[in-house]
Amino acid sequence: MIVGSTTSSDAVRLVTPTMLLLWLVLATVPLWIARIGLYPYLGIEILIWALYALAFNLVLGTAGLPSFGHGAYFGIGAYAFGLCQFDIVANLWICLAAAALAAGVAGAIVALFISHRRGIYYAFMTIAFGQIFWTLSIKSHRVTGGEDGLLKIRRLPADFGVVSFDLTDNVAFYYFVLAVFAVGIVVLWRLVHSPYGRVIAAIKQSEVRAAHLGYNVWLYKASVFTLSAALSGFAGGLFAMAQLAAFPDVMSLHQSGYVVMMTLVGGGLVSFWGPVIGVLLFLTARDVIGAFTNAWMLYFGLLFMAIVLFRPEGIAGAIAAAMQQHSLNALRRRGSSAMRLLFGGGR
Amino acid sequence: MSMIEAAGVHVRFGDRVVLESVDLAVAEGEFHGVMGPNGAGKTTFFNVLTGRVKPDRGSIRLGGEDVTGLSPHRIAAKGIARSFQIMTLFDEFSARDNVMMGLPAFRARGLDMIRAAAGDRSLLDQASGALAAVGLADKADVRAKDLSYGDRRALEIAVALAQAPRVLCLDEPTSGLGSDGVQRLATLVAQLKGKLTIVAIEHDMEFLFSLADRISVIHWGQVVARGTPQELQRNEWVRRSNLGKFA
Amino acid sequence: MFDLLPHLVNGLTLGLLFALIALGFMLIVGLMEQINLAHGSLFALGAYVAMQLTGPRPPLPADVAKVWLALPLGWRYAAALLVAPLVVSLVGMVIEVCMRRTYGKDPLYGLLLTFGAAMVIEELIRLVWGTRDYVLQVPSAVNGGFLFGDLIWSSYRFYAAGIAAGIIGLVWLLIEKTSFGATVKAGAHDSEIVRALGINLARLRLLVFVFGTMLAAVAGIIVAPIWGIRPHMGVDAVIPAFLVIVLGGVGSFWGAVVAGLLVGLCVGLAGAYASEWSLLSMYILLVAVVTFRARGLWGKKSVLEV
Repeated sequence: MIVGSTTSSDAVRLVTPTMLLLWLVLATVPLWIARIGLYPYLGIEILIWALYALAFNLVLGTAGLPSFGHGAYFGIGAYAFGLCQFDIVANLWICLAAAALAAGVAGAIVALFISHRRGIYYAFMTIAFGQIFWTLSIKSHRVTGGEDGLLKIRRLPADFGVVSFDLTDNVAFYYFVLAVFAVGIVVLWRLVHSPYGRVIAAIKQSEVRAAHLGYNVWLYKASVFTLSAALSGFAGGLFAMAQLAAFPDVMSLHQSGYVVMMTLVGGGLVSFWGPVIGVLLFLTARDVIGAFTNAWMLYFGLLFMAIVLFRPEGIAGAIAAAMQQHSLNALRRRGSSAMRLLFGGGR
Repeated sequence: MSMIEAAGVHVRFGDRVVLESVDLAVAEGEFHGVMGPNGAGKTTFFNVLTGRVKPDRGSIRLGGEDVTGLSPHRIAAKGIARSFQIMTLFDEFSARDNVMMGLPAFRARGLDMIRAAAGDRSLLDQASGALAAVGLADKADVRAKDLSYGDRRALEIAVALAQAPRVLCLDEPTSGLGSDGVQRLATLVAQLKGKLTIVAIEHDMEFLFSLADRISVIHWGQVVARGTPQELQRNEWVRRSNLGKFA
Repeated sequence: MFDLLPHLVNGLTLGLLFALIALGFMLIVGLMEQINLAHGSLFALGAYVAMQLTGPRPPLPADVAKVWLALPLGWRYAAALLVAPLVVSLVGMVIEVCMRRTYGKDPLYGLLLTFGAAMVIEELIRLVWGTRDYVLQVPSAVNGGFLFGDLIWSSYRFYAAGIAAGIIGLVWLLIEKTSFGATVKAGAHDSEIVRALGINLARLRLLVFVFGTMLAAVAGIIVAPIWGIRPHMGVDAVIPAFLVIVLGGVGSFWGAVVAGLLVGLCVGLAGAYASEWSLLSMYILLVAVVTFRARGLWGKKSVLEV
């Protein structure tokens, strides 16, 4: 949980039981995914988008800042990965760092303009900047390839000095992405539960109070946006590798909207895991429902509307509520049996 | 030397003069009450003291240092803490976490992104101490929004106290409290008296006249009367406006 | 200077169209403090419905259709201009009824709900009409071009700009000079005042929303012959609409109109010198203005900021 008490035992852990379970399940995916009619590439996509959505949720869920142009940073990361590979050096680590750096710089520039704002004006400004980056990516033919995209990006080998892994195969690449994802989860979990993360969560609840407690609200808002942009760009770099190309469409208003939808549907406002749940549902639904009908977005749109109306805390929120209800019922049952012991025993 | 000193503070919103050459000097350890009718400019004056509003003219000094026009977080870091008339808590956080945010030690490591916030015993102990001081020791884990009204008022003050301030500004601390709550608050403030410099806006005259060392009356953006509670009771303006009837 | 004239005229007519597109969006933001992201989709839907009504296969029983098709295009066009917004307003009603659950909550929920609605409407459009482009037939009286100062001017652009100016004027009269407008301004969002006046708030909000929806549909019909009809036209409309509102300042009628003209001029002139980048120019204009004037040109403080 993002909010609530710091004293819950998971908050101080580096790795929680939930993480271990999740990684374990994810590690088995290539073994069975083909048998249920899906394919390993979907797994890659889900992990990359989950990382992106988690990075995005740093801004939306943790900081409460409505950023509706986040696709820009994901896209910039993808382009930067490709351009670094073509023009600078074809080294995986350097190219991924370049992806994060480029998106982080873009995010920092935008943060300068928006960090004194909140609410709808914040949303508007992020949309405007998102559109600027999107237009630039489409129009800069010579750099980005325009609407055709930046093609022929390679999956560079993961070189650890002593060993080097070839990632061209989807299963190998899946495990690489999973490893990166696992590290990403640990980093983000740490970040959210660090003093920094708590200050961000406090600013979400009251900027005024936080300022009068001595926190430089502007600096925190600007830095969290920059961090989120950099991480989104990192995920974008992975996405460029997955797709073997970088396209402008991930930067469009629509795609930026999808990451908001996934995060909210999953329950990013109330849970750390919300974005992961949302991405899993969205991309699986796209493939499964999409196999039967072209209009799967129609159904997802309706589901999204229903969630906004009836379960604004998303799926993670609904699960948490159900679990609480369950434990409450268990408590009642235990309570009543205790009563029987106390009073029934005398009879 | 005064702990906090406002000199010739002048604030205008558009063409409306909200504060007009307001002076105030509060000595270290003094409890200074501020009263006056609604809309007199009391809260704006507080906002000037704590950096929310920049004065058009005049200056604010804290322990001799000029802090005029600094932003709220800088002024807070220099040692002015405030409570809010309209309660402003981190509603989703537990009482302990609310207080923890106020600790200077926590603020100092605000940019720490690696260690767990909950991992530091000394911070937790300090937070528990501030909660115990206002009688919330057994409610440390309750979310702020689930606390009773009176407890929330107490938490407001606990957060400000956790800041270990040099000057504590209380904006209508008894607002909305029942007589039990006011009594509890009076006991708390009486304990703080002398140890801390306190400026309090207050409507409850009984509370103010029994606790304050000196009181300033603000009306139409100006200080119209000032003195000890005894002096104020003799003051023509206060008598006429019937403000001192409880004393 | 004379070289620039066509671009200026082009920019001004485009600006009036932007203002028209933003009009319904602005009413809902200004009067209800709700962001209707479905505005663009309703705009597109208006164009599609009008196209279907005026086209060769109207959704009518065979006999009626025969009579209908025998009418001159001008009549059919005029009828579509009235009927299509009414059809679209039904969709608007459904959205407003759903939206009621979000009133009093963070305005983000309304924004998200309408984002979902936009997606649903756009998908429905794709289902019904496919992804191909359509053309909205317009009467020959406003079609074609004319020669002026050695240049050929499109008649339709002037007709469209004229209609836009007319509608903007009418809406202004309605808001400023009628008792309906007065009631609405008393606060479709400020429930206390309106309740105290004994006005049915639910109905008032529905009316405002439906009115905004119909304006979106009308804008769609007017703009369709210039932009063409395709599923994506909704997004192409909602972005300038929100841009115009932010630029003009939330809650300011003339702010939106002036902002619309500014954006139009900006795009028009940028088109003259760097046509590739003309779209970019409006975002840069927005960022430039909003960096220095936090609430746009004439914005008031709004609950949407917190």
